Amino acid sequence: MNKRERSFTDPAAMQRVLGHRLTRRSMLKGAGYGVAGLSLASFLAACGGDDGGGGSAAGGDGFDIGEIYAGEAGDTVNFTNWPFYLDQAKDKDGNVFNPSLKQFKEESGITVNYEDTINSNEEFFGKIQPILAGGDDPGFDIMVITNGRYFAILAENGWVYPLDPNRRPNFDANATTWAKDPFYDPGNQFGMAWQSGVTGIGVNRKMVNGEVTKLDDLANPDKVGRGLVGMLEFDMPDFVMINLGIDPKTSGPDEWKEAAAWLQMQKESGTVRAYYGNDYLAEVQSGNLSASMAWSGDILYSEVWLLYDMGFVVPEGGALLWIDNMMIPTGAKNPVGAMEVMDFYYQPKVATMVSEWVLYMTPVDGVKELITKDADQAVEDGYKGYANKLYQTAKSDYLFPDEEFISHTSFGFDPKTDEEIEEWDSIFLPISQS
Amino acid sequence: MVPYYLLSPGGLFLLLFFLIPLALMVYLSLKSGGLLSGGFSFSWEFSNYSSALGQYRPQFLRSLTYSVIVTIAALLLAYPMTYWIAFYAKRKSTWLLLILLPFFVSFVIRTIQWKFILGDNGPIIGPLKNLGLLSDDFRVLATPFAVVAGITYNYLPFTALPLYVALERIDKSLIEAAKDLYSSRWESFYKVVWPLSLPGVFAAFLLTFVPATGDYVNSSLLGGPGTTMIGNIIQEKFLVELDYPEAAALSVILMIVMLVLASVYARILGTEDVERAAGAQA
Repeated sequence: MNKRERSFTDPAAMQRVLGHRLTRRSMLKGAGYGVAGLSLASFLAACGGDDGGGGSAAGGDGFDIGEIYAGEAGDTVNFTNWPFYLDQAKDKDGNVFNPSLKQFKEESGITVNYEDTINSNEEFFGKIQPILAGGDDPGFDIMVITNGRYFAILAENGWVYPLDPNRRPNFDANATTWAKDPFYDPGNQFGMAWQSGVTGIGVNRKMVNGEVTKLDDLANPDKVGRGLVGMLEFDMPDFVMINLGIDPKTSGPDEWKEAAAWLQMQKESGTVRAYYGNDYLAEVQSGNLSASMAWSGDILYSEVWLLYDMGFVVPEGGALLWIDNMMIPTGAKNPVGAMEVMDFYYQPKVATMVSEWVLYMTPVDGVKELITKDADQAVEDGYKGYANKLYQTAKSDYLFPDEEFISHTSFGFDPKTDEEIEEWDSIFLPISQS
Repeated sequence: MVPYYLLSPGGLFLLLFFLIPLALMVYLSLKSGGLLSGGFSFSWEFSNYSSALGQYRPQFLRSLTYSVIVTIAALLLAYPMTYWIAFYAKRKSTWLLLILLPFFVSFVIRTIQWKFILGDNGPIIGPLKNLGLLSDDFRVLATPFAVVAGITYNYLPFTALPLYVALERIDKSLIEAAKDLYSSRWESFYKVVWPLSLPGVFAAFLLTFVPATGDYVNSSLLGGPGTTMIGNIIQEKFLVELDYPEAAALSVILMIVMLVLASVYARILGTEDVERAAGAQA
């Protein structure tokens, strides 16, 4: 065939000509890519550069207290807390309720919706950070955060409201000296202490050979056995530093490396079973651990009320002191009501209700005397066993520490910059992570 | 026109909840900054990837090793079980329901229950210790064995079900034909059933290996020092170190590694089998 025939009637040529036509399929494909590209672009534009920066960069400077606390308190306050951190009782029908919240409702008319869903600062912060960064309502008015990196980040990024100093008369009158003006929150600008506690060593008395009195005992297989020691992953750097004679508040990378070296030595000694968060207590109670870093209230509760053969030990070098703080997140619906609730718990009688149940260090003066009074009353009413437990509570160093006890405790390191956090993590996290 | 409309709900879903979040995660992984210095900003920070790979190679390798062991163990356990159900069982749906029953309970609760079952003085180890068959300081928890066993247990239904589907489809008359041609029982399995079940094995492998590598619950609840997996690292990077860009970088790396391994595996198995697995199941 000749060239001309091929160019007009050759099927291959025809296909080439027709191949570029706009088919329905190619149009839909293009539309799909276009939509994807447009939505991607708009998402990136909306979220670009805004993650984590949230509100004002300089703490509470951008907030107007008059504006935040304008108006009356609303009808409800949502309070999120840690488990086992509020007094509990059973009513006539056997339902569990919180007596202090009931009393608050009778006195003020405000209903408090209480939830104990905070299990660790890390997880809780992970949940609320995107909400707060986006400026949305997190769904609660009061949350309880431990002093340390999360407290600092919440304050620094403007994700919590500054507190109104004119709305806390009970706090001003009754707070203990350590609860007022703590080093990590000058002037109590962002938080009021809920409870405080110490991290020390919890011991299963029957499982250890001899007494556990110092930090090095936790690295001694003859004393505590192999693979039977629990360590609290996020408390252990400060705890080890304190027991090595270092003040964490003024420590730097050289001191951190010292503590890390001790932890590495402990790991190599074979005594450590695992590095725990909140879940160490169940392991101690079930006998999987002979000794563990532990929080004072947990062990006291297990010993005094649950009758486990356990003891809480402050090692020779000292214990780690921490404070859990009530804070109001930005976007909270009822900050005025929240402050009323927070100040309510600084009445000594109310604080006593909480302390008798929770067994941690109360930030309110005068509670020790009230607990003793309650114990006396219980003896009169014939509840000797209950009274004994209350006497034990009132005498406990961990709830009502004297000067000497406090001198053996120390707060942990408070990071001020991201570089410090990074350096700290790069030194300590590999120990529990490798 | 109608087929394209039918695609749009699924396509839209994938776009909104898979493609866009994926793009956002890659975008996040190239940011730098921190929560105490005013937030994160985009800066083509490829050093996130290099530092992540350099620092966490042991955990990556450990996760891959664990998952390979888990997948092989799960296949070894599931294959005989599903073979029996597919070829010999009378009430197949009952047996399948029994395999699926653990799914009705939350993943985390099941793992926590294993802490109790495998406890140092729990219902299994306690009596054995009392009988003197195990030494007093023997334990299973807080060891790599516990973690691998936990992951295998959690993902066994994921292995069993695709295997069952593939085995059930095999035409029984093929086995009869093999027997007619004088093959032994082993030969008829090896030469007829096994090759035909390969698409199911591939699907089971993918469904088990990929999620097992990223698992962190088992290591966190059942593990001890030296069992940290890459999932735990990502979790801590995100929640503790608050280093969101590096956490995103680690996640992207994990995804790419999984994709590469899955493609390599598909190649070894032969792509025709993959096509059959993907398409011909219909």
